Amino acid sequence: MAAIELQNVVKRYGAFVGVREFSLAIPDEEFLVLLGPSGCGKTTTMRMIAGLEEPTEGRIVIGGEDMTEVDARDRDVAMVFQGYALYPNMTIYDNIRFPLRMRGVPATDHDRLIRRAADMVELGAYLDRKPGALSGGQRQRAALARAIVRQPQAFLMDEPLSNLDAKLRASMRVQIKHLQRELRATTVYVTHDQIEAMTLADRIVVMNQGAVQQVGTPDEIYADPANTFVAGFIGAPPMNLIDGVADGGTFTAPGVTAPCPATLQGKVVLGIRPEDCVVGGGNLTGSVYGVEPTGDMTYLTVNVGTRQVEVKAARDFRAGLDTPLTIGFDPRRTYFFDGATGQRLRHGS
Amino acid sequence: MTDALSNPGAVKAAPVTRPRRRRSRTMRRLFPYLLVAPAVIYLLGITLYPGLFAMWQSLYFVRFNNATFVGLENYADLMRDREFWQALWNTLVIGTISLTVQTVLALTLAYHAYRDPWVKGWRILFLMPMLFMPSAVAYLWQLAFNDGRVISDILMRAGVVDATIPFLSSVWLARLTLIVTDVWQWTPFLFIIFVAGLQSQDAEVEEAARLDGASWFQIFWNVSLPLLRPVIAVAVVLRGIDISTMFASVTIMTAGTPGGMTETISYFIYRTGFRMFNFGYASAASVVMLVLTIVIAQTVVKRAFRSGRA
Ligand SMILES: Nc1ncnc2c1ncn2[C@@H]1O[C@H](COP(=O)(O)OP(=O)(O)OP(=O)(O)O)[C@@H](O)[C@H]1O
Ligand SMILES: [Mg+2]
Repeated sequence: MAAIELQNVVKRYGAFVGVREFSLAIPDEEFLVLLGPSGCGKTTTMRMIAGLEEPTEGRIVIGGEDMTEVDARDRDVAMVFQGYALYPNMTIYDNIRFPLRMRGVPATDHDRLIRRAADMVELGAYLDRKPGALSGGQRQRAALARAIVRQPQAFLMDEPLSNLDAKLRASMRVQIKHLQRELRATTVYVTHDQIEAMTLADRIVVMNQGAVQQVGTPDEIYADPANTFVAGFIGAPPMNLIDGVADGGTFTAPGVTAPCPATLQGKVVLGIRPEDCVVGGGNLTGSVYGVEPTGDMTYLTVNVGTRQVEVKAARDFRAGLDTPLTIGFDPRRTYFFDGATGQRLRHGS
Repeated sequence: MTDALSNPGAVKAAPVTRPRRRRSRTMRRLFPYLLVAPAVIYLLGITLYPGLFAMWQSLYFVRFNNATFVGLENYADLMRDREFWQALWNTLVIGTISLTVQTVLALTLAYHAYRDPWVKGWRILFLMPMLFMPSAVAYLWQLAFNDGRVISDILMRAGVVDATIPFLSSVWLARLTLIVTDVWQWTPFLFIIFVAGLQSQDAEVEEAARLDGASWFQIFWNVSLPLLRPVIAVAVVLRGIDISTMFASVTIMTAGTPGGMTETISYFIYRTGFRMFNFGYASAASVVMLVLTIVIAQTVVKRAFRSGRA
């Protein structure tokens, strides 16, 4: 297993920038998650690490060696493709066997390794089938098995659980985490599912439009977002972001007043997580737009001024539509961002 | 086409197009058939009719315009005819070698070229030899091998041989000239088909194989080639059917020499029909060839597709 380092990596497609100025050191054995919306450059970054795409600028170092110009075959990384990329002409057994054959693993070990990998993804019963005769989720697990059957320098997984049902996804998540610890494998994992990111990652890289927004542990990303993009992307539902004006220690927006650091002045954005809001109190005034009980809690949507605010209310909270109410929150739980750039304003907090 | 248009079906269709008249139930049902009738009749006229006529004629002894029914005697004679068997064998030998060589050659070229962007843009160029008339190609190679002695000359200058090679007096050299001609003209056709087939395969699968540690050749051998199987089967069958009717190059270059060892079935049929005017006999040979071709083609295609499926 090996550390991976990206140094000022840029990928341009003509004038379009797919990935801009990506610099990151991934220590050995780390589980790194690339998180971001569709089209933000996650797959592109991963393909550059794999050697399937050449960076327009920058270097890629794996295990202390500059691999930028090294062929994909000689980088010794295993990848789970977003589109599975199984060999349609081979059975699942032969699919999983292919990397062993090509990498010269002694034939006597093949069967044991293949069955172990297949059992890990609960695919033992399908080894005789060809990919065409499997469901999307089964194919995805076959692709996963093909990657974990050998011990490469690093694992690259591009949304490997996106096509599984909720239950299997949860169990596979635990398995992948366990496997990664067991194999002590450096892993780069792409997802746009933040639960997956939060639960699996040692560190998360949040990306948007080809640019890295923030790098940090799941706790840091959640508790200390660097800008409005990260704040608005993490959490379910994500942080409420309210445009307003700060003046003399008070933040105001239509229907909203809250204390803020006295150093803030002018246009700012206030952020407050739905789970930090309570019904009652005096920071927001509005009326009920929607009430969605889920059993263990109630999602409450409130019209405040011209915008809506999400609140996680108690599980027995009920209210009719358009009922006027107020929302309060602990001022220590608020975040402030620059109104123009969206960058976090930290002074004074 | 004028024949087809003036057929009774088309005439009947005319009133249907008149406005404000409801078509009868039968008319509505027949109308689509009437629309395609001219084309179908035309096609049947140029394919099915001659075929049936050949089958009918194969049961007769035909001399110009009088035909005597002889039953299966033509076929019985054919089975005893050494020249027929020789022609069949020649066709098989020349065809198999030629087809194998051009398939392997085309696959090799396609394997090396299909990732090349230049080939993608200019594949039409490779079709050039195909666009020549077969007889023109035959004359070209006739010139190169025999009349113009170009090949002998080049080989002599290169010091490979020291006299003009008598291409027409040796069985295998004569066959070689036919094979070279066919390979030259038709390898591009297979090449284009194989390149298109390879280019349409999922690039991600190749990338996966690359990451799994396969060399380019291993990827081709283990993944691309098996996936190309149905394409290869169809291309080879098409080419095989075509080769089994090899005629122009034989007529122009060897005329069956030496000693009938380059006489193909088509040339045999032509010789018995149009030189010896034994039409019934020639028809019987055509029918045998037709049946053989259908059986072989069916088997090859079926096998290729059955084992290609999951
Ligand atoms: N070959 C290419 N030519 C031009 N643009 C490309 C090419 N490949 C990717 N892009 C662009 O680069 C951007 C990043 O693509 P990428 O596949 O990395 O997205 P992603 O983050 O993996 O998205 P998703 O979550 O939908 O898989 C996209 O806007 C895409 O349109
Ligand atoms: Mg992607």
